[in-house]
Amino acid sequence: MFRVVLYGQWKWSRIIVVLGAIAGFALPILSVQGATGDPASALRPGELLGIVQAWGVLYPVLAAALGLLVAIATWAPDHRGRHVQALSLPLPRWRYVLLRFAAGLVLLVPAMLGVLAGAVLASATATLPAGLETYPVALAIRFALALAVAYAVFFAISAGTTRTAGIILGIIGAVIVVQVVASAAGIELDLTSPVQAVVMNWPGPLAIFTGRWMLIDV
Amino acid sequence: MSERVPAACCAVVLTLCAPLAGQIPKLRARADSLLVEWRQAKQFADLQDSLRLGRERGGRDTIRAGSLTYLVNPSPLPLAQAAAIAWPQVERFYGPAAQAFAQRPFLIQAVDPDTNEDVPPGQAIKILWNTDVAPLARALVAMADLGPLDPGLRDWLGGVVVPRFDSGPAHAAVYVQLVTAPSQAAQRCYRGDPTACRDALSLGAMTDPASQWYGPAERRALVLTQYGDFLRRTNHGLAVRSCEQGSNESCLELLRSLAPGALPQPLDYQARLTFLETAVRVGGAETFQRFLATPAGPMGSRLAAAARVSEDSLVGRWRSDVLAARPTPVPLPVWGAWVALGWIVVFGTCGLRSSRWRVS
Amino acid sequence: MINAVEIHELDYRAGKNFQIQGLDLTVPTGSIYGFLGPNGSGKTTTIRLILGLLRARAGTIQVLGEPMPLRAPTVLARVGFVPEQPHLDPTLTVCETMRFREAFYPTWDGDWAGRLLKAFDLDPHHLFGKLSKGQKGKVMMLLALAQRPDLLVLDEPTDGLDPVVRRDMLSALIDYVSQHGATVFISSHLVHELERMCDWIGVMDNGRLVSHMPMERFKNGIKRLLVSGAPADTASAPFAVLARDRNGSASETWVVRGWESGMTAWFDGRGASVQSIIDVDLEDGFVELLRTFRTPHGQEVH
Repeated sequence: MFRVVLYGQWKWSRIIVVLGAIAGFALPILSVQGATGDPASALRPGELLGIVQAWGVLYPVLAAALGLLVAIATWAPDHRGRHVQALSLPLPRWRYVLLRFAAGLVLLVPAMLGVLAGAVLASATATLPAGLETYPVALAIRFALALAVAYAVFFAISAGTTRTAGIILGIIGAVIVVQVVASAAGIELDLTSPVQAVVMNWPGPLAIFTGRWMLIDV
Repeated sequence: MSERVPAACCAVVLTLCAPLAGQIPKLRARADSLLVEWRQAKQFADLQDSLRLGRERGGRDTIRAGSLTYLVNPSPLPLAQAAAIAWPQVERFYGPAAQAFAQRPFLIQAVDPDTNEDVPPGQAIKILWNTDVAPLARALVAMADLGPLDPGLRDWLGGVVVPRFDSGPAHAAVYVQLVTAPSQAAQRCYRGDPTACRDALSLGAMTDPASQWYGPAERRALVLTQYGDFLRRTNHGLAVRSCEQGSNESCLELLRSLAPGALPQPLDYQARLTFLETAVRVGGAETFQRFLATPAGPMGSRLAAAARVSEDSLVGRWRSDVLAARPTPVPLPVWGAWVALGWIVVFGTCGLRSSRWRVS
Repeated sequence: MINAVEIHELDYRAGKNFQIQGLDLTVPTGSIYGFLGPNGSGKTTTIRLILGLLRARAGTIQVLGEPMPLRAPTVLARVGFVPEQPHLDPTLTVCETMRFREAFYPTWDGDWAGRLLKAFDLDPHHLFGKLSKGQKGKVMMLLALAQRPDLLVLDEPTDGLDPVVRRDMLSALIDYVSQHGATVFISSHLVHELERMCDWIGVMDNGRLVSHMPMERFKNGIKRLLVSGAPADTASAPFAVLARDRNGSASETWVVRGWESGMTAWFDGRGASVQSIIDVDLEDGFVELLRTFRTPHGQEVH
């Protein structure tokens, strides 16, 4: 069963998977190419770190984008058929959803391996000044976790009905509207900062996306 | 007759100037002393004005913690608690020298955060009275500056002399500086050269900072990226061009031609302050006291003498502390990975519990 | 013998305007049950409730002896379902779609699926999303039959298809039923199609089951009578009068239900006479039945 579900999802998301793997492979390599060509240049360490940090912003962006697209592609065949086939198959609903979830995770593996391969290759080919080291495995693991978290979040949202998605978006919209109205009225009310702090700091769900993403560091 | 007058006048002038020439050093010392006296008098005058203002505004409480004295208007500000936390930190850093604070009360104006009260300027330090104890204690420690007692120390540091609660983050920042600073002195210091560390920290007599701090490539980069426009405008265009084409001597001469203090130091104030902290930690409670008693000279030997160790030993100790504070390179703790996995399971379970149990 | 489908006192509401209330329905095992009703009457909703795709507010449903939706996975393994609209992954080819289904049904008959593929003249490498409506219908029928179900639930399977496709699909269906004795529950508003193959009929209208009986009884029981001197009172009639229309002053046309031979004697005793008795086909009977049911004082028929 898993194989056929995986194959079906692969047909929906193969372009995303392939492009994601290529992007994941290219990102670490591009991030170390921007430094000055002269390894003896004394400006290189700081410059290299700055460039690596600037490119590092793209890792969480890529993870979020891939997670979203693969999650949407996971549910696309069922959404198209209004879930009639899924609900008429002879297995419990939770098992079917688990098959879909697992198949989506498997389809994320090429991107994770792409980042790992690119990071290892970039580390092997970069000439590093003294004091700087590469962290390809740590970076790849972090990317893999961020990608899986993004996928799980969007999978859960996509699995819901339009009403559920509407409720979620409605709550977010209501918080923003209340914040804007309070600001306009001069009322001291800060709803977004506490929510942001909970979500973006450890152990919040999006904390893995925050911070510096450095292939090369001290 | 007419020829004698100018000669006589010259003779009179020379006679008068001869003893004056010998008086110049004395006069200079006297002028310096008067300047110091004037500065102290101004400080007291300002303090008196502020005290008068404070009295006019309803009186002040006196808060004491060790040698630290604070005059503050009545308010909810938890100054006593914060001072009790700050004093041990201050005393640990300055040792007996901290007694000097007894002569210098701090004037604090606790301000209501909910009003736009217009507080006239003065010596008082304004603090919002809803400040918590911990940040207030840090602020009190940061005010405890004994730098003015030793101008050489202040000049060397390039900033105020203040103790810190936790120098861990500062050491980590210095580590990054050692690795990334565009200075051969800093990088050789990182690799273990004590002479380079002394140069990078300006511990000795910096007779030629341009060559002590920077190598040929760095000098060229400095001239072209930071001082090129200025040097061209000051008629050094040819030399700049020569430096651009690879002449090391031209680059060196250009940097030497800059005003003293214009050349950026390889390591910053934080690095030098960590060196001072290392000396205090190595030498114990009376290090700062001893330092104040050492005669003027290179900072490295003064601090080493105060810490009662050799300069090489002190430099080595500082370098070890910095290397030990290497920052965590990738901000993902091991438990963070488990937390992320947990969230994957949570959101996956949310998908399993989807409300989509029926066709739409 | 356990009925293939048993529904008792089923209640379901969708929005403000549609409700199924107190529905009782049984589908005898081995029968071909035709489920008739106009558009919006609740046929598809009832089918979805039977298969557990929707959840009822009250009532019980048993399919093949198992409660639904509690035992849905077990039951659905023995049910072949052809929904009203194509519901399959459009990015898979016919062959890939068959492999997908095969993975979920242990009773899948690959050889027979291959024969059906040839019989339906389907290209296995064609994408499902690019097939014509008729071809999609054939694929869905193939999938339902190839899993060798005990119960086939077909929701307007031939709706909008040309006669050739309809014939092919119904032939395959009847072949399967005759060989395996499966139960078929088929909804449609192509009345003449059901007339030929169904042995039970249920008529749904506005969320209510208005008729449920063997097909022969339904067909034979409805007659159109030309009556002269028709009596006003029909309360004592041994048959049910569904409709009375005046033809000028002399005669009336009656549509009656439950007619049997010998009932003309009832008219004789009241000074009326039956000029002619005309058989009403299933479609006309269906229309008359609904017309009667929808009038303010429509008689309940059973």
